[in-house]
Amino acid sequence: MNEHRRQILQMLSEGKISADEAERLIAAAEAPSATGFADQSFSSTGKSRPRYLRVVVDSEDNNGCEGPTKVNVRVPMQLLRAGVRLAGLLPAQALRRANIAMQQQGIPIDLTQIKPENLEELVEHLNDLTVDVDQKDAGAKVKVRVFCE
Amino acid sequence: MIPFVAVVSLRNQESRTFRVWVPIFLIWLLLLPLAILLSPFIFIACLVCRVNPFRGVAVIWQILNALADTNIEVEHRSAGMSFHVL
Repeated sequence: MNEHRRQILQMLSEGKISADEAERLIAAAEAPSATGFADQSFSSTGKSRPRYLRVVVDSEDNNGCEGPTKVNVRVPMQLLRAGVRLAGLLPAQALRRANIAMQQQGIPIDLTQIKPENLEELVEHLNDLTVDVDQKDAGAKVKVRVFCE
Repeated sequence: MIPFVAVVSLRNQESRTFRVWVPIFLIWLLLLPLAILLSPFIFIACLVCRVNPFRGVAVIWQILNALADTNIEVEHRSAGMSFHVL
């Protein structure tokens, strides 16, 4: 659940807004044109922009033979932004060849349609991203977390 | 500012830690003359590929600047290693 929706639901549970108002606010927050609203809400909470993308992997062997393995990667968001700008410099020729290769793999994405502004926007919206993957089976237990901090 | 030092820490099964400070600035110093020598070729390659060479240099500079504070840690049992760019 993203931060805006959580805030709206909290206001609803506290009785500060009615159910109709909550519905309208959620719709506005989820609308593509609501970037301004989202940013305003983000700054009004006083929460600073995240500086790092963090990937944490915990792997545990159930048999106890291998022992636990932990991976912790912290990448500055600035590095992601710079990488995205570098991707924006790729010549059209290279993008076309990448498109063909991806289509052969069954991935119908047209990279030539992705503009540097879109990529910048993508990185900006990573703020709300949290990915949790838990895998438990007979052999091992793996937990992966990707989030911004 | 581009990073000048990286710290590599290695911890073995007996929990002994070895910390090595890697002076990355030496790599930059070595790469600088090479980059200057290759700059005409890079410039031509950029023009052939229709990429703005100045923008390319600016983006590479931004990437080098953003490398600071990157941290990678891997632990397995009691052994582990970490790589931190300062």
